Amino acid sequence: MSQSMSQSMSQSMSQSMSQLVGSTTLETNSDPNAYAVQIRGLNYYFGQGDLRKQVLFDIDLDLLKGQIVIMTGPSGSGKTTLLTLIGALRTVREGSLKVLGQEIVGLSRAELVNVRRNIGFIFQAHNLFDSLTAAQNVEMAVELLDEWGDKRQKAIEMLSQLGLADRVDYKPSALSGGQKQRVAIARALVNQPALILADEPTAALDKKSGREVVTLMQQLAKQEGRTILMVTHDNRILDVADRIITLVDGRLETDDNLENFVNTHDPKSLDRRMFMM
Amino acid sequence: MRRRTPLAWANLTYERRRLLTAIAGVSFAVLLMFMFRGFENALYDSQVQLLKLLNGDVVVISKLKLNMFVPEQFARRRLYQAQAYDGVEQAYPLYTTTAYWKNPETKRIRPLRVLAFNPQDPVLPLPGILAHQEQLHLPWTALIDDRSRPEVGPTEAGIVTELAEQQVRLVGTFSLGTDFASGNGNIVMSDQNFLRYFGALGPDEDRRTLNTVDVGLLKLASGANVEAVAQALRNQLPKDIKVLTKAEFVQQERDYWRNNTSIGFVFSLLATMSFIVGIILVYQILYTDVAEHWAEYATLKAMGYSNWYLLGIVLQEAIILAVIGFIPGFLISWALYQLTMNATGLLMQMTIARVINLFIATTIMCLISGTIAVRKVQATDPAEVFGS
Repeated sequence: MSQSMSQSMSQSMSQSMSQLVGSTTLETNSDPNAYAVQIRGLNYYFGQGDLRKQVLFDIDLDLLKGQIVIMTGPSGSGKTTLLTLIGALRTVREGSLKVLGQEIVGLSRAELVNVRRNIGFIFQAHNLFDSLTAAQNVEMAVELLDEWGDKRQKAIEMLSQLGLADRVDYKPSALSGGQKQRVAIARALVNQPALILADEPTAALDKKSGREVVTLMQQLAKQEGRTILMVTHDNRILDVADRIITLVDGRLETDDNLENFVNTHDPKSLDRRMFMM
Repeated sequence: MRRRTPLAWANLTYERRRLLTAIAGVSFAVLLMFMFRGFENALYDSQVQLLKLLNGDVVVISKLKLNMFVPEQFARRRLYQAQAYDGVEQAYPLYTTTAYWKNPETKRIRPLRVLAFNPQDPVLPLPGILAHQEQLHLPWTALIDDRSRPEVGPTEAGIVTELAEQQVRLVGTFSLGTDFASGNGNIVMSDQNFLRYFGALGPDEDRRTLNTVDVGLLKLASGANVEAVAQALRNQLPKDIKVLTKAEFVQQERDYWRNNTSIGFVFSLLATMSFIVGIILVYQILYTDVAEHWAEYATLKAMGYSNWYLLGIVLQEAIILAVIGFIPGFLISWALYQLTMNATGLLMQMTIARVINLFIATTIMCLISGTIAVRKVQATDPAEVFGS
């Protein structure tokens, strides 16, 4: 496992090296700036006292900048919990969790809010305000950076990249499911976050719109060298990943690049394992 | 430079029907507060409206006269004594009593308050009284308050009926209004007629003369220090009278009604209850918005918006509701004030200070609701939006 991990890392390293700043200072994997996320010995529990239940066990995980990582695994394996921990949405107490170079273990709630401003979140539901137009929904994200002058222009630019140039002034009720999810993606990406966390972004979409949405995410991430961590059950979109990690019962089970993952997982058994509940 | 996305306004106005319900709710609460406050103020204001109209800078009354109800007089010579002081220019006696009035149509008896003074003295300078100064000199004549209660019957010049079981002819009308002390209305007559009606009563009744005065009015020279003159009179005249500035006289009456009756308590309680009903109504409206957009607000929190921002959004909605709900509430109240005034003769005054006070109360009401409603969002864990 460690072999395949370093293999995939060096692979993506060369990718990200060329895509990133083009800097020559990044020589080795040990440079902490090369990682979007670094996790060491992370344990996480739900509940307290007698009801305390451990959901994540001793997680070690490094996400290189520029990688698209898909996290998969059976329901209840702790995928979403890990995603929310990386997203600074929960307080971590055990282990070490560095997001974009900053240690978030022990941060206060207000400090966590600041970390979140550098992360793009995409949810299963689009969570757009029905009362605002597509552009206004995206502008809400731009306003977080206190940029007022060109916020609409930025929003329109982002929506255009997602193929919604003619829908900027539509309210969500006038958009299709795929279009709404693309607006949500525009909202997540408009501030150019270095890290994007997506939770089942295609679950509510049909096959065609799901594929479109993921391809757009892949393109935008690759252009700008962003890191994407996506939780999904959707086998049809595994091919966008540079790396696939599997979480079972709160433990990291496999960590492969795409080819290895497909080779070592018989599609049928893969399906059975992934949808076992 | 463009402004912040108007999320509060957009959320509030997105569903028109709910917005209308919300405005109606706030308006109703505003209306209730206006009406209860209005009744309370009307009762106080009505008690002092005659006092405020009396033409005097300093008022002399009997030491025992705690309010206009108490039929205690003082010796008229005190007024002559007061008139000798520096700064006192004129002294007018005012005689009051209560007398039975026979409704000229139904022949039913009603008590009215009688105000009597020398028609040459500007004691009560109302247009209706000034216009009929000469006719008041005629014997057995009087003016009637056209804002008396309807039970008094028609109020117009030329009517002949009975007052204190003696014939009286109305020579005109004036406008004053009723209060608790006046009962059904007011009658104005000359001091000479007062003597004719009430100077020769039966043995069981208190006969009145012009030697005892109910209210003495002192007119000061222009530029005289009202406080100083009142103080001098207070110190030097015998202690069987009370010397008050006009403001103190009005305040004494107001305080009496405020402290010795449950008017204030009852209406304050009703107004407070309307305030609380308003809080509950607005809370319902804001809470529905917050609960329905729970996932969206939680997403904003995940993106990096603070609880303070969300509190700001909900409070903005609260203030918008307060402003646009207040206007119809105010207009309807204003119309109802006019209606109440015409129906009861009570003095329903909508002063600017009272409108501003109620607007502030409405805003506070909506802000309290907003603060309660927003707790739902503030308690929201943005992590819960994931995997939902």
